[in-house]
Amino acid sequence: MPKKKPANQRTVFICHGTGCVSGKAFEIREALEKEVAGLGLEGVGVDFTGCHGFCQQGPIAVVEPEGIFYTHVTVEDVPEIAQSHLRDGKPVARLFYHDPVSGEAIPLYKDIPFYNRQKRIILRNCGRINPERIGDYIATGGYESLRKVLGEMTPEQVIDEVKRSGLRGRGGAGFSTGQKWEFCAKAPGDQKYMICNSDEGDPGAFMDRSTMEGDPHTIIEGMTIGAYAIGASEGYIYIRAEYPLAVKRVRLALKQVEEKGFLGENILGSGFNFRIHVKEGAGAFVCGEETALMASIEGKRGMPRPRPPFPAQSGLWGKPSNINNVKSLATVPVVIAKGADWYAQIGTEKSKGTAVFALTGKIANSGLVEVPMGYPLQEIIYGIGGGIPGGKRFKAVQTGGPSGGCLPASLLNQPVDYETLAQAGSIMGSGGMVVMDEDTCMVDVARYFLSFTQDESCGKCVPCRLGTKQMLDILNDITHGRGKLEDIDLLLKLSEQIKAGSLCGLGQTAPNPVLTTIRYFRDEYEEHIKKHHCRAAVCEGLVSAPCSHTCPAGIDVPRYVRFIGEGKPAEAVAVIREKIPFPSVCGLVCFHPCESKCRRAQLEEAIAIRMLKGYAAKHDTGLWKENLKKAPPATGKRVAVIGAGPAGLTAGYYLARLGHSVTVFEALPEPGGMMRVGIPDYRLPKDILKSEIKEIEDAGVEIRVNTRVDSVDGLFKEGYNAVFLATGAHQGMKIGVKGESGSGVMDCAEFLREVSLGKKVEVGDKVAVIGGGNAAIDAARTSLRLGAKEVSIVYRRTQAEMPANPEEVEEAIAEGASIDYLVAPSRIVNRNGRVDLETIRMELGEMDSSGRRRPEPIEGSEFTTGYDTIIAAIGQRPEVPERFNISVGRGNVIEVDPDTLATSREGVYAGGDAASGPASVIEAIAAGRQAAISIDKYLGGEGEIDETLAPPEGDLAPLEEAEEQWRPKMPTVPPEQRLGNFAQVELGYDDKAAIEEAKRCLRCDLEERE
Amino acid sequence: MDTIKLTIDSQEVEAQAGMTVLEAAQSAGIYIPTLCADQDLKPYGGCRLCIVEIENMRGLPIACTTPATDGMVVKTNTPTVNEVRRANVELILADHPSECLICDRRERCGPLDICLRNVAVTERCVTCPKNGHCELQTVVDYLGITEIPFRRTLRSYAVDDSNPFFFRDLNKCILCAKCVRVCDEVVGAGAIAIINRGYASKVATFADKPILDSSNCVSCGECVAHCPVGALMPKEDKLPTEEVATTCTYCGVGCGMYLGVRDGQVIGVRGSRENTVNNGFLCVKGRFGFDFINHPDRLEHPLIKKNGKFVEAGWDEALELVASRLGKYRPEELAVVSSAKCTNEENYVAQKFARAVLGTGNVDHCARLCHAPTVAGLVQSFGSGAMTNSINEFRDSRCILAIGTNTTEAHPIISQEIKRAVDNGGKLIVANPREIDMVRWAYLWLQHKPGSDVALLMGMMKVIVDEGLADQAFIDERCENFDDFKKSLKDFGLDFVEKTTGVPKDKIVEAARIYAAEKPSAIFYAMGITQHSHGTDNVIATANLAMLTGNVGKPGSGVNPLRGQNNVQGACDMGALPNVYPGYQAVADADVKKKFEAAWGGQMPGKPGLTITEIVDAAGSKKIKAIYIIGENPMLSEPNITHAKEALEELEFLVVQDIFLSETAELADVILPGVSFAEKDGTFTNTERRVQRVRKAIEPVGDSRPDWQITCQLGKKMGNGGFDFGNPSQIMDEVALLTPSYGGISYKRLEKCGLQWPCPTPEHPGTPILHTQQFTRGKGRFIPLEYKPSKELPDKDYPLVLTTGRSLYHFHTGTMTRKVKGLNVLKGEGTVEINPQDASKLGIANDEMVKVSSRRGKVTARAKVTEVSPVGVVFMTFHFAESPANLLTNPALDPVAKIPEYKVCAVRVEKA
Repeated sequence: MPKKKPANQRTVFICHGTGCVSGKAFEIREALEKEVAGLGLEGVGVDFTGCHGFCQQGPIAVVEPEGIFYTHVTVEDVPEIAQSHLRDGKPVARLFYHDPVSGEAIPLYKDIPFYNRQKRIILRNCGRINPERIGDYIATGGYESLRKVLGEMTPEQVIDEVKRSGLRGRGGAGFSTGQKWEFCAKAPGDQKYMICNSDEGDPGAFMDRSTMEGDPHTIIEGMTIGAYAIGASEGYIYIRAEYPLAVKRVRLALKQVEEKGFLGENILGSGFNFRIHVKEGAGAFVCGEETALMASIEGKRGMPRPRPPFPAQSGLWGKPSNINNVKSLATVPVVIAKGADWYAQIGTEKSKGTAVFALTGKIANSGLVEVPMGYPLQEIIYGIGGGIPGGKRFKAVQTGGPSGGCLPASLLNQPVDYETLAQAGSIMGSGGMVVMDEDTCMVDVARYFLSFTQDESCGKCVPCRLGTKQMLDILNDITHGRGKLEDIDLLLKLSEQIKAGSLCGLGQTAPNPVLTTIRYFRDEYEEHIKKHHCRAAVCEGLVSAPCSHTCPAGIDVPRYVRFIGEGKPAEAVAVIREKIPFPSVCGLVCFHPCESKCRRAQLEEAIAIRMLKGYAAKHDTGLWKENLKKAPPATGKRVAVIGAGPAGLTAGYYLARLGHSVTVFEALPEPGGMMRVGIPDYRLPKDILKSEIKEIEDAGVEIRVNTRVDSVDGLFKEGYNAVFLATGAHQGMKIGVKGESGSGVMDCAEFLREVSLGKKVEVGDKVAVIGGGNAAIDAARTSLRLGAKEVSIVYRRTQAEMPANPEEVEEAIAEGASIDYLVAPSRIVNRNGRVDLETIRMELGEMDSSGRRRPEPIEGSEFTTGYDTIIAAIGQRPEVPERFNISVGRGNVIEVDPDTLATSREGVYAGGDAASGPASVIEAIAAGRQAAISIDKYLGGEGEIDETLAPPEGDLAPLEEAEEQWRPKMPTVPPEQRLGNFAQVELGYDDKAAIEEAKRCLRCDLEERE
Repeated sequence: MDTIKLTIDSQEVEAQAGMTVLEAAQSAGIYIPTLCADQDLKPYGGCRLCIVEIENMRGLPIACTTPATDGMVVKTNTPTVNEVRRANVELILADHPSECLICDRRERCGPLDICLRNVAVTERCVTCPKNGHCELQTVVDYLGITEIPFRRTLRSYAVDDSNPFFFRDLNKCILCAKCVRVCDEVVGAGAIAIINRGYASKVATFADKPILDSSNCVSCGECVAHCPVGALMPKEDKLPTEEVATTCTYCGVGCGMYLGVRDGQVIGVRGSRENTVNNGFLCVKGRFGFDFINHPDRLEHPLIKKNGKFVEAGWDEALELVASRLGKYRPEELAVVSSAKCTNEENYVAQKFARAVLGTGNVDHCARLCHAPTVAGLVQSFGSGAMTNSINEFRDSRCILAIGTNTTEAHPIISQEIKRAVDNGGKLIVANPREIDMVRWAYLWLQHKPGSDVALLMGMMKVIVDEGLADQAFIDERCENFDDFKKSLKDFGLDFVEKTTGVPKDKIVEAARIYAAEKPSAIFYAMGITQHSHGTDNVIATANLAMLTGNVGKPGSGVNPLRGQNNVQGACDMGALPNVYPGYQAVADADVKKKFEAAWGGQMPGKPGLTITEIVDAAGSKKIKAIYIIGENPMLSEPNITHAKEALEELEFLVVQDIFLSETAELADVILPGVSFAEKDGTFTNTERRVQRVRKAIEPVGDSRPDWQITCQLGKKMGNGGFDFGNPSQIMDEVALLTPSYGGISYKRLEKCGLQWPCPTPEHPGTPILHTQQFTRGKGRFIPLEYKPSKELPDKDYPLVLTTGRSLYHFHTGTMTRKVKGLNVLKGEGTVEINPQDASKLGIANDEMVKVSSRRGKVTARAKVTEVSPVGVVFMTFHFAESPANLLTNPALDPVAKIPEYKVCAVRVEKA
C-alpha cells in the first residue's frame, strides 16, 4: 500500500482524451506538475480524466473543487494558471469558456450551457474520473451493480430488470437489450459469447471512443453483468485499431479488474467465470454490423452473413453470441444500480433513457451531447450547440451517420427518438449529428454520404455493391450538370430496391441521405438538373467560381477582378457589362450574394466584390462600346415594357440591342423604379443612375414616364407584339395592429418614394421604424437625415435573424439609430399629433419552416413609447391591376414559369419584384435578362443576348501564396457630416486600394479540375 | 430424418427437416433464381435473387438461408419479389458485358450462324464463351429482362491468362464468390479472396498478382467449374458433343468423372457429382491432365528393335516374335511385371498369362515399391491389407492422425475430406518431418525425424497405456497377444522417444490423449510409413495404435493406407503379386493351387515367385533372361537406377507394353502399343476397395490396342485356351468366379457407383468398413515392435537426409503428366527443397542449381530454399527424368515386404 498523502485541497484535472492529447495534454500536465512543484504549492494535485466531449474547446483543464473550466489551454498558459490561480487564487479569465452567441465568459463547468442542459448517464464519469485508476470508478459506486447482480439476482432477474428498464440498443437499431439477452440466454449451447461492439465507424462520431477512454470500467461491468445474464464465459471487446488510446485504457482496465477479482474465475466468489479479450479491428465500416464483426473476430474478411441464424443462436464460431454497443453496456450498471423504474421514467414512451450525439458540422459548439430521448432537435442545435456560426442560415441536420437522413428546418421542433426519426426518414444510428448551413449543397451531401457507404460496402450483395454505385453515378452526373429529371425518380426507385434487397443494415440504410434530401430538398436537385445551378456553390462540376455562380446575373467576377488587379478598370467594366447594364448601380447598392460564397472568406474575409465593381464603374472609359456588336437591323417587332425599374430597363436594353422596338411605360415621373424611389440618394446618387439609364435610352429604348398602363389588351391593340410586366412591388404592407391607419404612421415605401422625388416630408424628432429589412434601415437613415433626433428600429426577432445587410445596419448605428430586438408592435394610439407605440417583448420559440425560430410574445411584457412618426417597414407587395387579366399568386405576385418568365397570357412575360415579390436590384436585372431572352425567342429570335465586350486576358501571372490579408476599409463620409444632407456616404476605393483588393482574389475559375 | 410439409406457390411440398426453403423448392422441382447458391457450398446470401415472400415473415427473406418449416407458406414468383430481383439483375447487367444476354438474335447464335457483329460464329457468341451455359442468362430469361435501365459501368481489368488451364476475366465476374468459397470451403487452398470494398471489390490472389504467381493456387479448377458466368473459363473452351462416365486414371482416390468427347478426342473433363468418392470435385491432374491421351508421342504401332533401332512392325509380326522368344525360356528365367495403371481385367490376364502360360510365379508390379508393407503388415495384424474405412466417413471423424502422408499433394480429394473433418470440429494431428500444406489445418504437428515413426507411435501408445486411455474392452474382446505387445512398450519411454523422434514430450502426450479420447479416430498414412527398410513395422505400429483405442471397424476410424496409383489396389487384388493368386489366395496353399490348376488348366507354380526388385537383381545376375513389362517404368521408379539399368541391359529379351516410349521402353526389344484409360473398358479398384467402371470414350489411337487384348492375344498364341475373352466384362465374370472377395461383382452391378469388396455374392451390398464384427483373421493381433533406425544415416561425407515424394502436378514417373503441357508450366522441373539454414551453410541461394550425391549416384537440380524442409533434410520429387531422385535412393529392402528405403538415404548437396 502506498503511503497515504493528505487529500489535496485542490486538483487540476487535465483532459486526456484523444482530442486533448493531440493538443499536447500530456505536455501540459507534465509542465503543470513541474510548475506546481517549482512553486512549492502545497495541497495542489495534478491529475487527468478522460474526454469531456467538448473537444472543440480542448485542451481542457478543470480545477476542482471550485469547478473552474479552462479551455484551449497551452503549455505556455501553465505558469499563469499555476501562479495566478493556484497560488494567488485568481482564476485566469482569458481561458474561461466564452459563449459563442453572447461572447460572455463563463468560468464554471456547471454553468456552461453546453453541459448544464445535458443529462449524462452513459457519459456520467467521462471527464470526471481518472480512467486509468479502477479506484476512481469504484469510488463512484462502480462494480456495485456487478456485486448486486452476482450476489442477489438470478440471470432471469437481471434480464427482467433490463427488459423493464426499456433500454434499447444504442448501436442504432434500437432493439430491446433485455430481449436480446433473453434470446441468447435461452439458446441451447455450452459455450456462449458476450461481445462489445466498439467498432465506431461513423465519421465524426466518437462517443464510444470517449467512453472507452474516459470510463472503460463501466463497459466491463456492463459486459460482465450481461455475460452473467446470458451465461457466457468469454467475451470480446472489438475496438478499431485507430483508437490506440481506447485500446490501451481498456486493456489496462481489464488487467486491473482481473487483479481485483471482478473478472476471471469465480468472480466475487459467485462461481461465475468470465474472461474478456480485446480484438482490434482494422477499420472497416461494415464491421460495425454484428455478423461482419464476428467474422472479423474469427479472422475472416469482415462480411455480413444473412440471418437467420441469428447470433443468439449461432454467432461467433457458431456459438450463441450476444453483441451490444458500448453505450448500451455503459448504461447497464446504472440501470441495475438505480433500478428499471428510475431509468424508464427518462425519455419517451417508447424510447427510454438517454442518447449521446456527436454534434458536429456548422455548429458553434461541437462535441458529445447526452440528452434524454425525445429531446427536441432544435434544443440540441441551439440550446446546447449554440446555433450556426458566422451568421449563416441553418439548412439541414443529418442524424445517424452516413446512412442517416437529412432533416430540414421544418422538422427542427421534432423530438429525437427512434420512432420520430424513422418517420422523418432518418435513423438514430450510432448518434452522429451533422449540422449543415446554407453553404451546404444537399445534392452534394447525398453524393458524399453515398460515396462513403459505397466505398465501405463489403461488396457481398448486389444491391449494396452495385446499386449504391449506380446511385452514386447518377448523383455525380447531377452534380456535374449531366443529370436528367428522370434521374430523380430513378434514384427513388433504386433506393427502395436497395433498401428492400440488401443483406445487411449498411445497404438497407445507405439510400437514406438520398431519400431524405429528395424528400426535403427536391428543388435543389431540380435546380442542378434544369439550371445547372448549385445554390450553395459547392458542386465542382457546376461551379467554376462560386462568386459568378452565385451572381443572379452570372457576371464573370474573377475575370473583372483580375482586370482591376492589373489596373484595367475599363476592361473590368466591359466584363461587367457583358451581363448587366447597371455597373455603377450594382457597384453601389448590390447586396452582393457573390461575396457570401467567396472562397477567400474561408481564409479571413470575402473579396469586396461590390466595392471593386463600384470602383471599376467609376473609372469607365466606355471601352466596352468598342466591342459592341453593331446593332442588327430592326426586326419590326414591338415590345411594351411596363415599369422602368431594373428589370424593365434591363429587358428593354437587351431587346433593343436585338433590334426590337421597345417602349418602356413608367407611372412615376422619373425612370429607375426602386433604384430611383426606393434607394436613398446617399447610397445611390441620382446622376449616376441617370447616366446608366441614358446608355439604355441610347441603345434605342423609348421611356414614357408618367404613363400608367392598366390594360395589357390595350397594348396588343396598339400593335405591340409582346409585353413585359415589370411593375415592381411598391405597395407597403400593413403591420396588422390597431391604430396603424391613423396619422403619424407612414408606409416605408411611400416615405422613401416621396423623399426621393423631392417632396417635403416631416418626421419630427422621434421616429420608430418597424421592421428589420434593408428598407427599414433606409427609412431610419433617411429620417436621421431629415432631422430626426432619435430613431429606433423595432424588430421582433434577434440580430441573427435580421435580413438587413449588416453593413447598412452598421452605418445606421454609426449615424445614431438604435435597434430594439425582440420587440413587436401591439397597438398604436394617436395622441395629440404624436403616436404612442405599444410594443410587446418577444422570445424565440420553435423553428418556423424557414429555419428561423419563431418569435413569440411574452405575456404581460407590453410597454409603450411615444413617437412623432412611426414608419412601417415590414414589407411590400406588387400591385397588379385587375385589367391585366393575369394570374397572381400568394403575396399578390404575378405567376410565371420560373424558367421563361412567361405568364398565363401568351406573349406576356413578367419579372422583377412584380413576379418574385420584393427582392434585389441584381435579381431584377437577372429577371430582365431572362425576359429579354424569352421575349426574343417568342418573337422569333435566338434569345442570344450575351456579348463579349472585354478584350481577351493576357498571360496570367501565377498566383502568389495567399497570406492573411483583410479587405481595405471603404472610405466614407464621417457620420457627423452625413446628417442633414443626402450626399453619397461611400467614397469609393482609390486605385491602390482597389488593385490591392483585387489581387486577393484566389481565382477559383482557373483551378484545374477533374 | 423428419419430413415436413410446406406450401410453395400453392403447391404442397414435402421436404426434409433442416432443408432451406431453396432446397425444399428445388427438391420439388420449383425453380427459384439464384446466382450464388451452390449445393457444394455453404449459403452465402450475396446475389439476393432467391428472395421470396413467406407468410408471417417481414420483408423479403432469402430462400437459400431461410430454414423451411412445417406449415410454411412461400411464394416465389410475386410481382414484388420479381421487381427486386429484376433490379438486382439489371444492376449486374449494367456492370457486365451483356450483349449475349439481351441480344435479340440470341437464339440464332449457334454454329455457323452470323451474329449481330457480322462475325462468323462457329461455336458460340463471340463476346462470351459461356453463352448458352451461363446461369446469368438463365436468370435473365426467367425474369424476361430485355433492356438495362441503368448507366453502363464497364470495367477494364486485364484478363489473367497466366494459368495454363484457365482464363480469369474479372470483367465478367458477378462476385457471387463461388470461386472464393469453393477454394476455401472445399479445396482448402484459399488462393483467392475478395479484396477491396464497394464497387472496387474483386476476386484476387494475395497482393492481386496473376493466379499463376499465387503460391496457394493448386490449379484444381474448382473455381472454373463453379463459375456461373464466363469469368473463369477453361482455355479449352470447345464444348463436348458427348460425355462418357469413367474413373480417373491418376491416383488411388478413384474420382468419378465424365470425359468430354468431341471429334473423337477428349477435350474436357467434368467431375461426377453422383460419385460418392469425390462428389464432383477433381484435382488439377484429373481435371486438366488429359492432354497425354492424344499426345503426338503416343506409340501407334508395334516396334521391333533391329540393329539397335526401333522399326515399325505389324501386330502379327510383333506378337509372333514375342511369343516365340518368350517360349524359349524356362519358367524361372521369365518374369512379368504388371501395372497398377492397368485395369483389374488386364492385371488378371497378365498374372494368368504369367502363371498359366509362362508357368512362372515371377509376377509383380509397382505396389512392391509403395504398399507392399501395408499388405504384409496389415495382413499380420488384421488379416486384410486394405484400407479399413471409406473416404466419405472421415468428415465425421473427431480426430485424424495423418502420418507419412502429404495428402494435399498426393491425394488432393481425400485431403478435402480431412478438411471437412477439421471444419466440423475434428482435430487433425499431422506427423511429418516436413511442414506440409496440411499443417495449416492441423491442431497439432508432430515434426518427427525421417524414419522414426515406430518410436513416435510406440511412444504415443505407451502414453495411452500408462494413462489408462486404452480401450480395454475392445482389446479383450477383439484382439490377441496384447500382453506381449505391452511388454515391448517399456523401451519407449518419453525421453527416448523425444530424443529419437525430435518431437517434444508434451506434444507426444497431447497427441496420444487426443487420439485416444476423441473418437472416432482415423489414421491415414502413405509412403512416409511404407517406404522404409522397416516399413512393415511402421504399418504394424499404426495397426497396434488403432486396436489399442478400439478404433477399428467403426465409421470414421480405422487404419487407412492411401494407395498411390489408380489401380494399385486392384492390381494387388488381381494377384499381380508373386505370392498370391487373385483375392490374396496364397500361392503356397496347396488347395488354392489345385483350385487354379483346375480353373486354368495345367501346372501352377507352387511357391512364391520373385518380387520386382528381386526380378531386377536376378536380371543383373542373368538368372532372369526375359521380362514382359506392362505399363511400368522401373528405369525411373526403381531405387538406384544405375543398377537397374545395368541389370535390364543384361536381359536377353525385353518386351515393354506401354503408351509412350518410356525410359524402360528404350531398352526393349519389342514394344507393344497399349492404350490409355480413355480408350478401353474395364474396372479400377480405388484405395477404399471400391471397384469402379472405366469406360471407353474414344477409339484407340493409331494401331494401338487395349492391353487386355494384347495379353490375351499372346496368351492365345502361346497357351492352350483360357484367353478367349470378347470383352473385359467377361474377364470380370471369371474373376468373380475365382475370387471370393469379388464374387458378387459384375459390370451390371457397377453401373452406379461401383462396389466395395469384400462383395462375395451377387446380393451383397459391398463392404464400406472392414473388421466391423471381427477381424478378417479372426482376432486382431498385437505385434510387439522395436525401433530400427534407417539403414543409411547421415555421416561426415553425406551429411543430409534425402527424402522423396510426389508433387501435386505430376504422377509417378511422369509418363503421362510430363506430356501435359500445362502441368509442366505449373511444375516443369524437379527441385531440391532445402532448409534456409542448410542452404546458407552451403552457400546455396534459392533457384540455384545444385548437385545432390549419394553413395549411388549424382543428380543435378534446382534448389528451392524453404522452411518446409526441416534442418538436415532435403526433399526431391521422383517424377523427373532430368533429375531422377532414384539415382540416389537406397535399395535397402524391408525384409518382409521387400520395399526399398526410398524415404531415407544420406546425401551431400553442393553447388553445381
